[in-house]
Amino acid sequence: MPIYLDHNAGAPLRPEAAAAISRLIADAGGNPSSVHRAGQRSRRMLEISRAQVAALIGADPRQIVFTSGGTESNNLAIFGAITASSRRRKIVSSQIEHSSILAPLAELERRGFEIVRIAPDADGRIDPARVLAALDGETAIVSLGLANSEVGTIQDVAPLSSTCGNSGALLHVDAAQAVGRIPVDATALGCDLMTVSGYKFGAPAGIGALYVRDSARIAPVIFGGPHENGMRAGTPNLPGAVAVGAAAETAMHAMDEESDRIGSLARSLLNKLYDAIPGLRLNGPLVGKLPNTINLTFPGVLGESMLIALDLEGVEVSMGSACAAGAVEPSHVLRGMGRSIADARSSLRISLGWNNTADEIDAAASIIPAVWRRVADAEPLAEVSAR
Amino acid sequence: MKPRVLVAMSGGVDSSVAAAILREQDYDVVGVAMRLATEPTTPVAKRRGTCCSHDDFEDARRVAERMDFPFYVIDLRADFAARVVDNFVSEYIAGRTPNPCVMCNREIKFDRLWSRARALNADYVATGHYARIEQGVDGRFHLLRAADETKDQSYFLFTLGQDELSRTIFPLGAMTKTEVRARARALGLATADKPESQEICFVPDGDYASFVERRSDPAQLRPGSIVDRDGTRLADHAGVHRFTVGQRRGLGVASGERLYVREIRAESGEVVAGRREDLDSAGLVANRVSMVDDSMALAGELSVEVKIRYRHRAIPATMRVDSARRAEIRFTSSGPAVTPGQACVFYRGEEVLGGGFIERALEAD
Repeated sequence: MPIYLDHNAGAPLRPEAAAAISRLIADAGGNPSSVHRAGQRSRRMLEISRAQVAALIGADPRQIVFTSGGTESNNLAIFGAITASSRRRKIVSSQIEHSSILAPLAELERRGFEIVRIAPDADGRIDPARVLAALDGETAIVSLGLANSEVGTIQDVAPLSSTCGNSGALLHVDAAQAVGRIPVDATALGCDLMTVSGYKFGAPAGIGALYVRDSARIAPVIFGGPHENGMRAGTPNLPGAVAVGAAAETAMHAMDEESDRIGSLARSLLNKLYDAIPGLRLNGPLVGKLPNTINLTFPGVLGESMLIALDLEGVEVSMGSACAAGAVEPSHVLRGMGRSIADARSSLRISLGWNNTADEIDAAASIIPAVWRRVADAEPLAEVSAR
Repeated sequence: MKPRVLVAMSGGVDSSVAAAILREQDYDVVGVAMRLATEPTTPVAKRRGTCCSHDDFEDARRVAERMDFPFYVIDLRADFAARVVDNFVSEYIAGRTPNPCVMCNREIKFDRLWSRARALNADYVATGHYARIEQGVDGRFHLLRAADETKDQSYFLFTLGQDELSRTIFPLGAMTKTEVRARARALGLATADKPESQEICFVPDGDYASFVERRSDPAQLRPGSIVDRDGTRLADHAGVHRFTVGQRRGLGVASGERLYVREIRAESGEVVAGRREDLDSAGLVANRVSMVDDSMALAGELSVEVKIRYRHRAIPATMRVDSARRAEIRFTSSGPAVTPGQACVFYRGEEVLGGGFIERALEAD
């Protein structure tokens, strides 16, 4: 069996989520908007799931809007905010966001919005003071990732909430990588909007949520029926919703145990790799990051070769973001953190999750150095593109 | 353990069938599509079906899905630019006519890709080339023409030596194109009826001169005059990179008789034009000569058939290689226009003995 170490791309389905889907499929399957009792049963299941997701992030169920996933939640946050505050033409974010933030910002820049992208420090931290300095009365929304998808750095967003509130800007936190992995409390953070992605903590792809503190402050972007309190038209994805509800409940109850266990597995992997690979470098901070994520620069090799070689040996990791044609571009996150293009091309992201075992990590800790030695020997970087 | 083979897949029918055949023969097939060109391919390129576009990669991916083997896109753009495209541009600027497919095979498919293959623990590299490799009873490898003469691509492969041949598989060498297409249809491959790629993959519109101009410093270009054999100026031109020996069209000379490019003198910028019969040559000098079996290089004078352009017929000649890897080749009877920069490949019957790059023609007596 391959060793799956790419949970930040998507986690395997939790058995509790699979069971919830099975139970739903066995039911009549009414539309939650319908009047009949089949519809009522579906509606009840939908609302239970909503409460489970709300509980995971310290929110009220009425503040949870189900979406098709993190990308839709981010788009709803950004476009919903600028539509609702049409006078304001400025957005403050960072250089190291996910493409589902960066691409909407690029589109809005084309439409004439002013976009401020704060640079991170060398560990991927965004200085809250720099965000506050960019904030003004023109700012519609401040959008920051809570935990970076590639290096795992956790941002200190709590200090932003009162100033955002005073200046009338919405604070959006993309918590796709954090929710279900570390304790996240939307109310305590004081944000207005928070993105949740079910796929990252054991629900299937295709279900997510946006926490909306005050629904008067954003406008919908998908129009149709009055679903999701008018915030998101379209019959809710009930199989996804029951799965994300079950995954949320499981993740919440298991969180302390899981984050300790996964954190210690990741630390043990990192230490073994440090011992076996001279010159190996961790990208991102040692503390103040997701316990499951380790982003590493492997000396003297192309990350692309390592990634493929590891896959063929049954260790599944990732690198940067894949472009349309399938070739991998150097990570904008690592570039933003000041790493060279060459270093970014030599880097891989290893992300653990709920189902990884100590045996798997032991195996990975011996396979990865062996593959590194083979790749470094067969295809040394010095030879690449030169003769 | 099954031997692992890295198959270079372009998304065309040939490499698709090559991969599928190896999969059926129970190799551990790993498919790779190489991202090579840095300029986006144009809609024209798509129609003509050159390789390396996004759609072609998707076609290759579908073949891998259908035949159930892993497939990856690998990024060799920097290597391709440094080892193939830069050479293409500098050769044209120097008044020669390069053959980038030969360079790509030598530098990318059978060198750079081999490094990747070893990194991936592969034992072999395979491509959809039409050529055959056979191992003799003495253990030496022989490179042979394809069974399908009309598709034979052995010309592009002369740089392969014993090391390369020992780790290379050409699954299509014994097949005709018709058989390959039939096989693709039988396997249900989406690429079965794709058109042939024609142009050089990184110059999809076929306009080499403009490509060279885009990729070079204008100060490097050598404009000058078109002159006749006696040095009389016939016209001016915008750069020697716009010409190739043997070319007739585009000389911009009004003349009663048909004129051809006979010689390009990059230093002075002179392009010498002549009549068709002025193009004939007695032979050529080649450099960077490599032999498939290196012991052949020491064999003194060899009787061979030499092919001086891909689409030309091989003609009888005698040759001798010196210690600096240069060869003097004398045609048995006077030969056609010799184009510096092109590959000349030495055959003996079906077998490729080696080849080199044409430096200059030997004047007819």
